[in-house]
Amino acid sequence: MSSIDSPAPDSQNAADALQPALEGLDFVSGFAPEMQGRQAECDGGAPIVGTKYAGRQDFVGKLTGYYRDYGKYAWRWYLLAELTVKPQGYLHQSVWCDADSLFLDDMSSQQPK
Amino acid sequence: MSGPLHTPLCDKLGIEYPVVAFTHCKDVAVAVINAGGFAVLGEAMHTPDEIAADIKWIRDRIGGKPFGIDLVLPASVPESKTVDELLAMIPQAHRDFEQHIKQKYNVPDPKVAPNLHQWGGLDQKRALAQLEVIFDERVPVFASGLGSPAFLLKRAHELNMQVWGLVGKPRQAKKQITAGTNVIIAQGYDAAGHTGNIGTFSIVPQVVDQARGTGVPVLAAGGVTTGRHLAAALALGADGVWTGSLWLASRESDVNLPLKERLIEAETDDTMYSNCISGYTMRTTRCPWHDEWLAPGAPEPLKPPLQMMLSSNYIQGSLDYQRKDLMTEAAGQGIHYVTEMKPARQILSDIVEEALDVFDRFASA
Repeated sequence: MSSIDSPAPDSQNAADALQPALEGLDFVSGFAPEMQGRQAECDGGAPIVGTKYAGRQDFVGKLTGYYRDYGKYAWRWYLLAELTVKPQGYLHQSVWCDADSLFLDDMSSQQPK
Repeated sequence: MSGPLHTPLCDKLGIEYPVVAFTHCKDVAVAVINAGGFAVLGEAMHTPDEIAADIKWIRDRIGGKPFGIDLVLPASVPESKTVDELLAMIPQAHRDFEQHIKQKYNVPDPKVAPNLHQWGGLDQKRALAQLEVIFDERVPVFASGLGSPAFLLKRAHELNMQVWGLVGKPRQAKKQITAGTNVIIAQGYDAAGHTGNIGTFSIVPQVVDQARGTGVPVLAAGGVTTGRHLAAALALGADGVWTGSLWLASRESDVNLPLKERLIEAETDDTMYSNCISGYTMRTTRCPWHDEWLAPGAPEPLKPPLQMMLSSNYIQGSLDYQRKDLMTEAAGQGIHYVTEMKPARQILSDIVEEALDVFDRFASA
């Protein structure tokens, strides 16, 4: 089974370099250094394509610090990588998680935002 | 109105009974609302224009009463791939297994094959487009069936909308209550479709504990199909119940007739918690597709969305040709008590009467 890495910039410079290319897209990228390297659990899931249903998926990994803000409410998503828990058959090595669905393992009561 | 069924949720919504119908059928929603309950219409699959049309249709029939719309907000998203890339990832052994099932059960081809190329975009962009309609229409209640709605609370509250969140774990409830979510739906493992792994009887009191002192009502969800369930939910501290399977076989429901018959026949252990339909674990009624994927020697189900791509022809074929023997539908463990094709008004009335009987029995003991 092959693994597919989500494309994550590997440095702040790389993230900055990407920024012009993202103009006009649906999100704004950023980097939160205080989040980098923190262990987190993601109570994830998504709509199931072609159906009216949804499915839950749990992940555990380390936050890269990279985030994306969607829409006018700043709907923030963090990139979780080095996954130690992921659904069976999940092909990627990282996942974008809604900030409000993340639970930091080192400070479980703190909102990652 | 007062009495044991009159909870703070009734005051919050201006309803008679603390029974919420979650349905994908507009007719069911309208019937329940007009009978004194509350209804939330599932619109996850619909385009913004379709959602707007459905909202107008409901508003035209409920005389100013409140209603809700449910969307499935994603909570985690892998990098997207094209449909063709995904199709190329389905192993030949799995395609062969699908064909084996098709031949063994004489599964008909769909009249129109599911257009997988129109499936894309179930991501943040799609959710945001759907949400704009919800805000434009000032829908009284927005319910998030999966992901946290915390990010949209400020705007929703500025528009005087309530925001409800469905949770499968107590920690999700705690976070959503802290963020300002108006109502929490505590969904147990007994429920239809996607669930957490905690049973309804265990999660409801834990979420009630999280909500204590905050004024946030809690709805019990998962396996609720009788008045005894309603009474038990209130005894656990919930302010009402969130019901789905209860309405699938109702007179108004747009579920096709053979599938309604199948649901009425179904027993609790006919619901299977499996990932063989979509790659996600979800509770659906058992059908030959389940039997084959659970049999010794069957391949492991694929990850989402590949498994759904594999099962889509089977499911669509069974619906197109009304093959009751092949059909499957998301249904909860309370399906045992769905035994008749009754009008929604009667279903609600029966539940209310039975719950009141329970309280009368305790009061007179």
